[in-house]
Amino acid sequence: MTDYLQLAKEIVQRATRDGVQAEALIMDDVSTTLRVDGGEVEQLSQSGSKGLGVRVIDGGKVGYAYTSDFSDEGIQTTINAAHELAQIATPDEFRALPQLQTIPDEDLEIYDPALETVTTSAKVDLAKQAERQTFEADSRIFHAQANYGDSITHVYLANSNGFAGKYSRTTAYAYVFATAKDKDLNDSAQGFGLDSSPYFSELSAVKIGQESAYTSTLTLGGKTVPTQKTTVVFDPMVMTQIIGTLAFAMRADSLQRGRSFLIGKQGTEVGSDKVTLLDNGRMKRGLASAPFDAEGVPTSATRLMDEGIFQNVIYDTYSARMEGGEAFSTGNAQRGSHRNLPGVGPSNFYLQPGILSRDEIIAGIDDGFYITNVMQTGGISPVTGDCSMAASGKWIKNGKLTDPINGVTVATTLNELLKNISEVGNDLRMFPFMGSLGSPTVRVDNVIVGGSVAEAAPAG
Amino acid sequence: MISKETASKVLAVAMKTGADLAEIYVEDTTELQLAMQESKLEQAIRGTDRGAGIRVFFGNLVTYAYTDDLSEESLLRAAEAAGAAGSGSAKSQIIDLTTKNSALAFPIVKPFDTMSIAQKAEILQKVDEKARAYSPHVIQVMPGYVEKHRQMWLYNSDGVAVEDDRSYTEFRVGVTAQKEGVLQSAFEGFGGRVGLELFDTKDPYQAAHNAAESAVKMLDARPCPAGEMPVVICNGWGGVLFHEACGHQMEADFITKGSSAYTGRVGETVANPIITAIDDGTIPGRRGSLRFDDDGVEARKNVLIDKGVLVDYMWDLVEARRAGHHSTGNGRRQSFRHMPMPRMTNTYIDAGPHDPQEIIESTKKGIYIKNMAGGQADIARGDYVFNATEAYLIEDGKLTAPVRSATIAGNGPKALESIDMVGTDLALDPGVGMCGKGQSARVSVGQPTVRIPLANVGGTDN
Repeated sequence: MTDYLQLAKEIVQRATRDGVQAEALIMDDVSTTLRVDGGEVEQLSQSGSKGLGVRVIDGGKVGYAYTSDFSDEGIQTTINAAHELAQIATPDEFRALPQLQTIPDEDLEIYDPALETVTTSAKVDLAKQAERQTFEADSRIFHAQANYGDSITHVYLANSNGFAGKYSRTTAYAYVFATAKDKDLNDSAQGFGLDSSPYFSELSAVKIGQESAYTSTLTLGGKTVPTQKTTVVFDPMVMTQIIGTLAFAMRADSLQRGRSFLIGKQGTEVGSDKVTLLDNGRMKRGLASAPFDAEGVPTSATRLMDEGIFQNVIYDTYSARMEGGEAFSTGNAQRGSHRNLPGVGPSNFYLQPGILSRDEIIAGIDDGFYITNVMQTGGISPVTGDCSMAASGKWIKNGKLTDPINGVTVATTLNELLKNISEVGNDLRMFPFMGSLGSPTVRVDNVIVGGSVAEAAPAG
Repeated sequence: MISKETASKVLAVAMKTGADLAEIYVEDTTELQLAMQESKLEQAIRGTDRGAGIRVFFGNLVTYAYTDDLSEESLLRAAEAAGAAGSGSAKSQIIDLTTKNSALAFPIVKPFDTMSIAQKAEILQKVDEKARAYSPHVIQVMPGYVEKHRQMWLYNSDGVAVEDDRSYTEFRVGVTAQKEGVLQSAFEGFGGRVGLELFDTKDPYQAAHNAAESAVKMLDARPCPAGEMPVVICNGWGGVLFHEACGHQMEADFITKGSSAYTGRVGETVANPIITAIDDGTIPGRRGSLRFDDDGVEARKNVLIDKGVLVDYMWDLVEARRAGHHSTGNGRRQSFRHMPMPRMTNTYIDAGPHDPQEIIESTKKGIYIKNMAGGQADIARGDYVFNATEAYLIEDGKLTAPVRSATIAGNGPKALESIDMVGTDLALDPGVGMCGKGQSARVSVGQPTVRIPLANVGGTDN
């Protein structure tokens, strides 16, 4: 087996020239994906792959090339391409590799050695069980499809400032897509249940099955409501989509480059005192936790919004250098794979949980809308701060869930939404979206629910 | 990339445990990406992705193994792994691999190397200048250029041997404008399964101008009204509505599982008779066009809906085998690391009888959608949503004020039944569409101007 850290160091040596910085990233993974449908395995894929990315910085000009070909010739072609591309880039004095920093020696619990020996049949069983649990949870389930996937990834990073580091991580996930049908109501709906962890043994087929059954049946027979301004409750998975947009808006580069509705608001109160947002690259068992980021900077925990006050942003090396002064990288350089240049991105980014349970939040609402599913594509914009999407869920009447709702839109602005968050639940859930994002159940007041023509919309 | 002898050996190993069919898919892809921000060329990326995937069919079970090492030894190892699910002995011999030809050709007039990287970068630089010159309100310009050369070879144990050499060129520009604390952004782009001749007929500077104009115009947009109202959707990219709201529900994987609203409805009237919808993988130069799909099946033009009547779904090899149907050439995969699944290619609603001007004039009060971000659909229910990035109020048959953040939601099959006006002005999109369904695929959409008499519009003005 090739020593990839050694190889990365050698590539850095070959790519470094007078006044030119170089960095090499090697990723090597083994993954399994499988799908169970109707109690039978339909698809099974098990393979390994690897990739190399070479970044050179020549007088502030960046060139990048990648390959999956690790032959000597393939590597040399990649190094040459990176140098060639640097020649056409625009020089930028803030482009530079990070200074060498010590990586704290701490077990982040992101590697499950057991995954190496979990058999394929155990993985198949988990998926089968999740599918079965979905059917058992509700008789209206018409179809369920269970997917399981995992990967064992090794990351090797070296640069010409002397950094050389490696770490390994495991990820295991399973999800069920369910379709529910109700003949009497002449309606069908789809739902989704998901669980993920670095640790295989933490995945719960029961939880996934129950969740996919709940989400697919909850809105069966759902009707629209008159257009009105009301209180809504976002389920954690729904709120997490909004959290992802907030994470984008709180990236240093988004603010520096006019792509955030939060421009000019740093240090001011932008949300209610219930809103505390955190990014923690060192969260134990976090799906985006790592000892160092995509450039070799130690990861850290950053408090971005503290009880409504917008305090900090997340930085990579470039955005911190550009800002100058006391700004430093928060260890938030991310890249999707060896095909991408590093850029600022959230790690484990989440809304800090509060005290009340979901049921207690709902119990406190006389009239409102509990939202368990939204669809949006570009409807939540970190740039304009607009926030509109299609939603379904259940209506809340006198503190209880009542009629199913479907085919309505909800709209507000992110500025309004942050100010109108009046409760945050104690049920924080992290999802493997864009790395790792999470939220508890959240209550938001004064949201416009668009449905049928408003004849007598209640005053907002 | 690999010899037919190697392919035959690999297939024989994959078949030796009693499989019904085995296939090897080889891919060699190179790409170049250039992107600017802050008037700086800051992303210059070149990359290579090369490998093979081996797929083996045992009844309803499909197993897969891939490798980025194309040596015979590594391919044979992958074949062993993919064939490991079987427990019998070889059922049949590999039929001779004779390369199949197709009359379909997508010739590249100007290969990527007819322009230097520096010249390509210069286009982006000028695009940046052009957009910034449009208005002092323009604060950010993001031009980008991508060229991708993806070659594929596919061999299977039924004797299929095909290749498809795909080149894609695309240009895009995003513009953000700011005034009095309000930010708006707009996006333009074009591309196709073409070489650099793309720039002979499409003007990146005009696109820069249009994006800047649109972003600045939307600065004065007022909040969109909320509630149910008529929606008129522009031609071209507006076809994303059909793609999301109905197209996905006509993909065979949702049909064989019975989860789509269109299951079992072939021969039924599912739309107004003025609607004919087509998925056509053979259109020259289009982004979704294929010589052979990623199952090795020749691309075709498939009528999905003929004058309101559902004709057929879109099939890949797996679903076709499952249902005893034939593949319609819709099997596509993101890369050699993925198994194919049913996907759209170039999907559009055909031209109808109405003058587009008349469609707007006959609408008393509603919304006109001129540009939009992508969309999303709930398959089981057929519900869809998309977000308009440039929209206007229609008042007394005229386009009036621009409105911001309009989300349009509704039910796809119901919307399709209800569409009451279809324009004569069929157009395909500019060619930068990307469809996500677990895997990403380049697609095209299209339509004439279309009116939905009642859709749910989500906005902040009630």
